[in-house]
Amino acid sequence: MKYADMAVPSRALHLWRYTPWARIHPSNVEEVPEANGVRFKVVEGGELVDGAPRIVDTSDIGRVFLSELGGAAMTFQSSEGHDVVHLQAIASGHVAVGHLHLSLNHDVAVILHLSGEADWCGLHITGEVAANVRGAFGFVNELASNGKLLHCEDWSIARDATLELGGLSIGGFRCKSDIRSRFQGSGAALTQAISAHGTQQRHIDHHIEIHHDVPHTDSSLNIHAACDDQCHAIGTGLLTIAKGANHCDAGQVFKNLLLSEKARAESIPELEVLADEVAAAHGAASAPVNPDQLHYLMSRGLDEETAVALLIEGFMHDGFSTLENQALVDEMRTRLTVHLECELKR
Amino acid sequence: MAMGDEILRVENLHVSVDETPILNGMSLTINRGEIHVIMGRNGAGKSTLASVIMGHPAYEITEGSIQYMGTNIEEMSVFERARAGMFLSFQYPAVIPGVQVGTFLKKSVQSVRDEPVKGREFRKELNAAMQTLEMQKSVLSRYVNDGFSGGEKKRLEILQMLLLKPTLALLDETDSGLDIDALRIVAKGINSVAPEAGCLIITHYQRLLDHVQPHFVHVMIDGAIVESGGPELALKLEEQGYDWLEAPKEA
Repeated sequence: MKYADMAVPSRALHLWRYTPWARIHPSNVEEVPEANGVRFKVVEGGELVDGAPRIVDTSDIGRVFLSELGGAAMTFQSSEGHDVVHLQAIASGHVAVGHLHLSLNHDVAVILHLSGEADWCGLHITGEVAANVRGAFGFVNELASNGKLLHCEDWSIARDATLELGGLSIGGFRCKSDIRSRFQGSGAALTQAISAHGTQQRHIDHHIEIHHDVPHTDSSLNIHAACDDQCHAIGTGLLTIAKGANHCDAGQVFKNLLLSEKARAESIPELEVLADEVAAAHGAASAPVNPDQLHYLMSRGLDEETAVALLIEGFMHDGFSTLENQALVDEMRTRLTVHLECELKR
Repeated sequence: MAMGDEILRVENLHVSVDETPILNGMSLTINRGEIHVIMGRNGAGKSTLASVIMGHPAYEITEGSIQYMGTNIEEMSVFERARAGMFLSFQYPAVIPGVQVGTFLKKSVQSVRDEPVKGREFRKELNAAMQTLEMQKSVLSRYVNDGFSGGEKKRLEILQMLLLKPTLALLDETDSGLDIDALRIVAKGINSVAPEAGCLIITHYQRLLDHVQPHFVHVMIDGAIVESGGPELALKLEEQGYDWLEAPKEA
């Protein structure tokens, strides 16, 4: 289906309840504007080649829209000898769009840093993790603070593969991320961890879908959002376990740290379990700074501002504690620490 | 031992929490080099005393005063008290996920000393303190008290005390939940700080006092000290309990 033929999605749908299509579209919803290509480059390790397979879910307006906008398309293919790869995506101009495809055929951690001054950025990341491969992908959103971001990811995880997905959302003014993973073979596992920090009127919406279509697959999702000022953080999860996909183990946890009275957070984990012998759990919690933790730190000489800053950093670091790939964890935490040092000093 | 200078003077202290009186005319003076022990039944107000001295915001002083190094500290916030040399070893230390022990210790030492801590010197000092307490270095990369056993938490409290070198050390049931070896190690930490500080140890058990020699033992009932003595008082309490002591009657 073409974008022009698609109806604007209803806000009754989970996916579009908190960030309606009109609010994330770069202009008028009827328009498909001219777009620059996002500039992809390798910072360290590996190689990028032009072109990427178009895998378009024709039922999703965001993916169809990104596909029609065009922009840059690149593929990263893992190779022996590159355990850690750093890629950069730079978005500039009014509207910038890019599609990056990752083909992970070796054990590797790929980290993509998104930055730039674009008013609107659309990014579609697709990836495949081959059988028996331990893959990791980290996405660091460091867009300029006035930019809008529509970010979609689609992952396919083969038999006995493991994928660790890390996300750090610290840039952009209004961001919608829609990340979907699907198990293609049994024995596979996904660990996904996202930390987001919002100040002023930042709007951060994460929609995460994990589909267990085959038995003996495990997944865990952790989202930590620290919201200050009038920030609004949203986390919606859809975890499905198909009929016959027995012996799956899946869990989703959403935690929000509310740092001001006007900060808001919504967390809606959702399960659709059609198999009988599975373990599936979900939980969500939103709370202000814990007064006992604050008192403890202050009793060790930290003033209130420093103590709260350390608690925010700890809360967000803890969001990555389920990840095992050390290169991925180190990068996420380093970027986070640098961001907080700049942000909290302002 | 430099005994003599007054470190803490608590006078006729009345404290309430949510309008419920907890301390009812508590008085106590601690001089440098002195180790005071407070014992008493559960709910007597012992932990409240430690918390209020440290400046916990939940407690309201309704009467009386707390003087630290000759200054009334009622208006000082908790971090100012810590920077002035006061330290509380918590009965239940807070768990802080995501904050590594090493990072926390460095920030704490920097804050209390009010100067940048040089990495090499700090590491040397930290290693020495950890050796004293027989702690593994791996603890530094763990999150503060997250997944720690009771004994590990108490050792971490004492490690902080060794690094912060307080002038007044308040130890709230630091011995509870410790096995015999851990008790000995924690006592070693207390003894190394005590000569240059004033120490107030809150405990239920005499066994810590086999390793730490107190100068004074006080018994607290209903928010006030009803009996004071030397180390022999702790032995007497161990044998006879608290029944022989009567709560102070209201005038």
